[in-house]
Amino acid sequence: MNMGVVAVRNLGRNKLRTLLTIAGVSVAIVTFILLRTVLSAWTVAADHAAKDRVGTRHKVSFIIPLPKRYLEEIKQIPGVKGAAGANWFGAKDPKHETEFFGSFAVDPEEYLEVYDEIIVPPEQREAWFQNRTGAVVGDALAKKMGWKVGDRVTLVGTIYPGDWEFQISGIYTAVRKSVDRSSFMFHYDYLNDSQAVANANSKDLVGWIVSRIDDPSRAAEISRTIDARFDERDQQTLSMSERAMNTSFIGMISAILKAVDVVSLVILFIMVLILGNTVAMGVRERTHEYGVLRAIGFLPKHLAAFVVGEAMTVSVAGGVLGVMISYPFVQEGLGRFLEENMGAFCPFFRIDPATIVWALLLAMLLGAVAAALPAYNASRLKVIDALRRTG
Amino acid sequence: MLIPLSYNVRSLFVRKTTTIATALGIGLVVFVLSSSLMLGQGIRNTLVSNGSTNRAIVIRKGSDTEMASGIDSNVVSLIMAAPGVKRGNEGQALGTSDVVVVASLDKEGTDGMISNVLIRGVQPAALLVRPEVRIVEGRPAQPGTDEVIVGQGIRGRFKGTELGASFDLKKNRPVKVVGVFESGGSSLESEVWADIDTVRNSFGRGSSSSSATVVLDSPGAYDGFAAYIENDKQLGLEPMRENVYYDKQSEGTSVFITALGAIIAFFFSVGAMIGAMITMYGAVAQRSKEVGTLRALGFSRGAVLLSFLFESVVLATIGGLLGGIASMGMTAVKFSTMNFATWQEISFSFDPSPAIILGSIVAGGVMGVLGGFFPAVAASRLSPIEAMRG
Repeated sequence: MNMGVVAVRNLGRNKLRTLLTIAGVSVAIVTFILLRTVLSAWTVAADHAAKDRVGTRHKVSFIIPLPKRYLEEIKQIPGVKGAAGANWFGAKDPKHETEFFGSFAVDPEEYLEVYDEIIVPPEQREAWFQNRTGAVVGDALAKKMGWKVGDRVTLVGTIYPGDWEFQISGIYTAVRKSVDRSSFMFHYDYLNDSQAVANANSKDLVGWIVSRIDDPSRAAEISRTIDARFDERDQQTLSMSERAMNTSFIGMISAILKAVDVVSLVILFIMVLILGNTVAMGVRERTHEYGVLRAIGFLPKHLAAFVVGEAMTVSVAGGVLGVMISYPFVQEGLGRFLEENMGAFCPFFRIDPATIVWALLLAMLLGAVAAALPAYNASRLKVIDALRRTG
Repeated sequence: MLIPLSYNVRSLFVRKTTTIATALGIGLVVFVLSSSLMLGQGIRNTLVSNGSTNRAIVIRKGSDTEMASGIDSNVVSLIMAAPGVKRGNEGQALGTSDVVVVASLDKEGTDGMISNVLIRGVQPAALLVRPEVRIVEGRPAQPGTDEVIVGQGIRGRFKGTELGASFDLKKNRPVKVVGVFESGGSSLESEVWADIDTVRNSFGRGSSSSSATVVLDSPGAYDGFAAYIENDKQLGLEPMRENVYYDKQSEGTSVFITALGAIIAFFFSVGAMIGAMITMYGAVAQRSKEVGTLRALGFSRGAVLLSFLFESVVLATIGGLLGGIASMGMTAVKFSTMNFATWQEISFSFDPSPAIILGSIVAGGVMGVLGGFFPAVAASRLSPIEAMRG
């Protein structure tokens, strides 16, 4: 019988305590995985942002639009393959007042060319190009609102007041994780030619411009070229790669992210306390036995190995259980719910495989950490003292 | 007869390491629970304390926030003429209109990180309408100039926002910081106040305003005021009590933080309860001889159960107190995050209240009750003879 088997068999002696400890470890691991997934859901936009896109907005504020002719000028800049403008529309469905979704006015052809990860079936795509009041919506939004291709919908504008009539020309899906599948996109011309836009003095303006570049490594250089071009104009611009833009957005909520980060480590510390407590109790109860083992020739390192082996078995069992619980919980339950209902904030709420690996590695490592002190104590026992103790 | 409580307290001392480990675990849970409640409270306080029941704000219908709203200046005069608006000595309406925009400023101490700051273009009456805004350093800005005052929540957090410094609202259009104001911890303290025309010119706002704010004769005068504003459908305006408006603005962020905190606290509590349970089962097993002796001496099953339950609660409460006290330390921490409603960065503090701190410590005690219950039942079921035999 090898030593590992002895360590594992020892766990069977106090089944209730072992089961409770495994439960405790798995709760900690579930919490850890959940919190890490919250973190990765927020950062996924930055991690999966396209490297070959550069966004340009007004230098002072994202709420100030740019002249539409800037778009044509940006297209001329060497290294830029194509560019598209977009305007934040801001609409609510009177039938679903509280549902938030993003709505943009775009030039359909240009926009789909720049965002080639947005997939619209070819015939719907064609229909959208032809229909001035046509709109395409994300599959998540369509499902939530119960919209089908061909439906007529009336939205209320928050920035441009009034009722706006649209026809759903198509439903898009996305091949990249960072794309919000609950946006609403329609023709720029429909917005630009409207009375509401004329009233707001915002004719021929675009909210921001996104360009596709031919060499991702030149994103910073091309951004500088774009900004330099408009530097002497009335409206200066601020350009950066899509990735840098998303990172700066995340910077604004960095305090929350940091708090979640710290908390996810605190739960691991609590896990070490629970586990260490269990191991220490076991060692204390078995002092007499350890004395016997020492007396019949086992070395201190063997005793330490028993203790560490036992702790690691429990922590790995708890870790595996935790992963088995959190996987279906997040992937099938929570993640799907959040993606469908809060797609604008977290388009992709799924467990990163790396998180699973981390969770298991940490469970193993922390098992060893929790066992360190009790193992050290066990290995230092004097045979005589240990045998004398019966507790 | 009950078992003396000192028996339990001493038992906890005998098993120092285990007691400390378990209490620390519960303490951490209470700490996290209390901190997240304090932050949620801080967010509500910051955003809602802007609002007075005695003031009303008017924005364009359907625009939800000041930022998306736009009101023509002739419409502003109509609002000021509405019934219920308090008048000054010379009969002028006590009200003002602001232009609200968001500008990206460089964060101090970072390498080119930018964040959004709310810039409010105000008229001289703004300070009369909002008497809670007080200049704490420097002086008020001269109307009609490029002088600004900054809230103490963002002072120095962005480049050029220190007293005496200047930053660009637009290229070659620097504004100079001449004063710092406070407003009782509300989110106004995360704003920059500039002259209304400076903001209009720099941001191409023509002559329109974002919102109008009026002081009412009394909180009860609101209904009459609102009815008058809403009655004129042509204007397309939406009046709101100021506190209601800010309450709406804070909803998303505070619900998010509180929900996140509650979910975390739930999982943590389950973990801590399991920890307490393990410890108490250990205590019962280790002391089965003692329990047998107590039973033989004539203490009832109920007394043994209560005794162990009490021990568990003491253990948990020690942890709860540690966590509660530690969380008070968080009040020194400033927490800045984005308000989802306005995209503006606001700095919050952790606001403790007796209810939050006591509630969290009690939650710790409850974890002790739940975690100690089954072990206590197990102890009370021990048969005296068997237990004493060991």
